[in-house]
Amino acid sequence: MKTQLKIALVLILTNVIMLLLLGGSIYYFLYNYSYTDFYKRLETRAKISAKYNYDADKIDAQSFKKIRDENLEKLSEERDYRFEVKSEDDLSIIAQKTTLPLGFLKEILNKAKSTLQVNETFYTGIRYNSNDRQYIVIVSAKNYYASHHLIFMRNIILVAFFLIVIFITSLSFYFSKHIFDPIKNITDSVRQISTDNIHQRIEEKYNDNEISQLISTFNDLLNRLETAFETQKNFVSNASHEFGTPLTSIMGEAEVMLMKERTPEEYQQSLNSILGQAERLNQITQTLLYLAQTGYSNKKVNFEILRTDELLWQAKGIIDKLNPKNNIIIDFSLLPENPFKLKVMGNKQLLSLAFTNLLSNACKYSNNKPVNVSIASSDNQVFLIIKDQGIGIPESEMQFIYDPFFRASNTRHFEGYGIGLPLSRNIIKIHNGLLFVSSVVNEGTTVQIKLPLANIQKY
Amino acid sequence: MASKILIPIDFHVESLNTLKLAMNHLETYEVDVVLMYAEDLDNSITELLFYNPKKIIESHRTNEFDEAISILKNRFETRIRSISYAIFHGYRVRLIEDFMKSKEIDDIYLPKSYQLQMPKKGFDPIPLIKKSKLHYKELDWEAGVYDSEELQLNALFIY
Repeated sequence: MKTQLKIALVLILTNVIMLLLLGGSIYYFLYNYSYTDFYKRLETRAKISAKYNYDADKIDAQSFKKIRDENLEKLSEERDYRFEVKSEDDLSIIAQKTTLPLGFLKEILNKAKSTLQVNETFYTGIRYNSNDRQYIVIVSAKNYYASHHLIFMRNIILVAFFLIVIFITSLSFYFSKHIFDPIKNITDSVRQISTDNIHQRIEEKYNDNEISQLISTFNDLLNRLETAFETQKNFVSNASHEFGTPLTSIMGEAEVMLMKERTPEEYQQSLNSILGQAERLNQITQTLLYLAQTGYSNKKVNFEILRTDELLWQAKGIIDKLNPKNNIIIDFSLLPENPFKLKVMGNKQLLSLAFTNLLSNACKYSNNKPVNVSIASSDNQVFLIIKDQGIGIPESEMQFIYDPFFRASNTRHFEGYGIGLPLSRNIIKIHNGLLFVSSVVNEGTTVQIKLPLANIQKY
Repeated sequence: MASKILIPIDFHVESLNTLKLAMNHLETYEVDVVLMYAEDLDNSITELLFYNPKKIIESHRTNEFDEAISILKNRFETRIRSISYAIFHGYRVRLIEDFMKSKEIDDIYLPKSYQLQMPKKGFDPIPLIKKSKLHYKELDWEAGVYDSEELQLNALFIY
């Protein structure tokens, strides 16, 4: 069953049940009330009748009758029956005379009061004692109110019921059909999106209801998917380029050498250059392997307690060896007084690799301009800020900087193959840390690293 | 002996640089820090009825701001005895003078070129302090642009 039909049926059913309960109870309680009320009215009349017939003196009787005629509404087919009862045997005579059932009369005598309904006529009888005599007074009338008003009301309720049911049914179907319109629209537009047109988005409506939340969630998902697709495409083209360049130069070198006979020195020179290119290829595959290993966290990495400032000095030492012209300034102006606030859980080799990568990037892309490195710690994190005054990263390319082999458009004059930053980020991620990069073209790049503090006792 | 200093803040990390630099200018080793935030006091009766300075401070504090404060606390662990917040309402010079007196402030440090970027309802109290007879010291650093929330913390790392 479709959800649409389900919703409509549930709505109709609940509404019909509620209507039935309402109409039925109104009718039922009014019906009951009209009967008890009518019997009471008849009883009052019987009492008055008994009073002026048997009890009062002549003048009072006249006034009683007058009051009754003037003030009490004449009921339809109202009749009085009055009998003197000396013994129970009289009852059967009365019963024969009035065609009233004997049981009813006996009940009046025994219980002093009784009611009876024959067809549409209602009877109320009372026992009345006066001057040592015993009387039975019965008043009968037709309940005009019950027979006419109640039927009229029943009809109104029935008509209203059917009208409302028709109205509710149509409304429920309309409602259930159109409440799913936006969802149907979304389904239609998502269905149109495939790998070929993954840049398409669902049109967003700017209000805060569930549907627009769904739409923006879908669009977010599509954004991520698109980035993933893009990354994959970039990776393939960049990787083939990176692998292709050294291979081409190896092939070219070899071809040129094979063209004619060469001197041993020339062969040596050429083999050296081929070796250099092969080493470069080897290095690329090595780092790629590292990247792959750090990318999957299922591999166990050994963690120990490390001091971040020591790691930083170590990384600076490595850079000093590789690039003696570097200009790294380590700033301790925010270094915490307590050395425990510098300790993190981490893998020494990996973290050192990450810091070295980031520092060498900062030096490389700023042509050895000053690189400021700050270290600070809050109550649960260590912060490392690496700030250079280099070429920066164009804003449009910021989203790709973590893709392996991606190199920004302004890095043509610098050696590298675009693995350092993604590798560093993977390493920081393994340590449950965060790495942010912000950059302004030609002004510099700032890398912010947050690493969680090791949870150790102070003493 | 500890002194008590006052720093006006706007709940941006950058405004805490005043505190960072002030630590180098102090005459005493230990210090109690009062961070002052100035806000217009609403004059509707319901606002006044439910006036709660703690909640006002709470609503403006960001994660980055708290991180920055804890960085500074860790840096000067033995020097900073306490950091507290104070809200100032009012526009008159006399009021701010009384405010300083009641808080027993020894020194006031103000940023020289950095403009406080007050949140909604807040106002910059620095002109008021400068107009008063209070003594203050101005500290300067190179202001930067820190748009995104994650990078706000970088504001503290100036050279």
